[in-house]
Amino acid sequence: MRLLDYLQSRGLRANTGMCTLGDGQAWEIIVNPRSVERTVRGRLSLIVVHGQEEKAKMHFDLTAGASLSMIELFAADCAVECNIHQQAESDCRVVSVSVAGSKADYTIDLDGAQASNHMRAAYIAGGEEHTTVSLRVNHNVSDCQSDSLVKGVAGGKAVGEFHGLVYVAQDAQRTDARQTNRNIEIGADAKIITKPQLEIYADDVKCSHGATVGQLDGDAIMYMRQRGLSLEQARRMQIEGFVSDIVLHAGEIGEILAEELTSKLERL
Amino acid sequence: MLSVKNLHASVGDKEILRGINLEVRPGEVHAIMGPNGSGKSTFASVLAGNEKFTVTSGSVEFMGQNLLDLSIEDRARMGLFLGFQYPVEIPGVTMANFMKMAVNEQRKFRGEDPLTAGEFLRLMREKSAVVELDSKLTSRAVNEGFSGGEKKKNEIFQMAMLDPKLAVLDETDSGLDIDALRIVATGVTKLHTQNNATIVITHYQRLLDYIVPDYVHVLYKGQIIYSGDKTLALKLEKEGYDWLINQQEE
Repeated sequence: MRLLDYLQSRGLRANTGMCTLGDGQAWEIIVNPRSVERTVRGRLSLIVVHGQEEKAKMHFDLTAGASLSMIELFAADCAVECNIHQQAESDCRVVSVSVAGSKADYTIDLDGAQASNHMRAAYIAGGEEHTTVSLRVNHNVSDCQSDSLVKGVAGGKAVGEFHGLVYVAQDAQRTDARQTNRNIEIGADAKIITKPQLEIYADDVKCSHGATVGQLDGDAIMYMRQRGLSLEQARRMQIEGFVSDIVLHAGEIGEILAEELTSKLERL
Repeated sequence: MLSVKNLHASVGDKEILRGINLEVRPGEVHAIMGPNGSGKSTFASVLAGNEKFTVTSGSVEFMGQNLLDLSIEDRARMGLFLGFQYPVEIPGVTMANFMKMAVNEQRKFRGEDPLTAGEFLRLMREKSAVVELDSKLTSRAVNEGFSGGEKKKNEIFQMAMLDPKLAVLDETDSGLDIDALRIVATGVTKLHTQNNATIVITHYQRLLDYIVPDYVHVLYKGQIIYSGDKTLALKLEKEGYDWLINQQEE
């Protein structure tokens, strides 16, 4: 796995440990966790690698003003449940990438005013994989912000699923919530299922959600081939472009995640 | 260089090209004009290998090879360039990455080594100057959020990067203001040599003030019904196509 190789080149010696990356930040690394429970005070930068088939549970409590930055890679057919509770003025940023038939189930609870959650996820499913991203964002109090973008690619006979829910409680006025799911189906045998939902019980809110399912853009492929790229290169470049704005949020690790995604394209 | 003989092409059941004949030699500039719907863009697309169209009969020879047998990318790698009437946006793919891959694929086809990062950057800088393309655009996604003028300049920038044997420019002048037209047209002229050739498809004579054609052809209902020198374009601008079409229908 490229990500592990990279982290080891940066000094990671065991399955858990610390790495200082190019940004000067100390990142905590957790590989193949079964269970993670953390109370975050101040700032935590975390890289989690799910590299084997199993079930895992993660739970994060962000205290007031805390910030969590988490990069997650799913490299095996695992099922991971992740709950994040955020107190006032806490900030959580997740970049989640899957190149396997994984099931990622996120529940975000925004429990204190001015808490913000920023979620970016991408997956590429191939073969007979079934990849699912579930994302429930609960705006339990007023004045919180959430912004989620999930991008899925399914090729071969794979199934990609998205279940999104933005829940806004009765008193959660001035909520600002966005959730978007975009997908590309490659070939006639791949299947995308997307179920975005809004459940709003407050009246003074700004909420939007949207989902799209498309195919590769034939005109763009023609354009690229006319410049000399092969059909395969053109397809790959288009898909890399499609997921690029997800990994963009992961700094130097983003490049490694992009490589993980690209190498997956060769195995569709 | 290019020899088109009795080319027929259809989309679905509809025949659009109905027997085109055209000879293009190195060093020449050909202009193709004609009313809307006469098949100009289809001709360009068929040369490039666009799979929306089916060639039903005729032949096209390019650089001594049967063009119609080649894939879209091999046509490009052999030196056929199409300037798109509607350049396509490719979200998330930067111009620089796109061009790097395109240039190096074409070099590989010719048995040349890929450019080093430094050589590539120098080439980008040099060629973006040809069309006064803002160098910031090369770090942006291909055509995404580009203005109409930027998209057309970007086509000519790509032409400069790839240095084709034959460039087919499909209405590269449409949607350009006067300044952008001058820049685009001057760019094309700068790239013209005795070893390459250009086919410009246009509605307007004004482009041909800059890019002086050796031949002007009029396409109508899928055939070239008349060919002349550069003065034909001036006559068409003044008198329209009716006199030619009437002559044809008689």
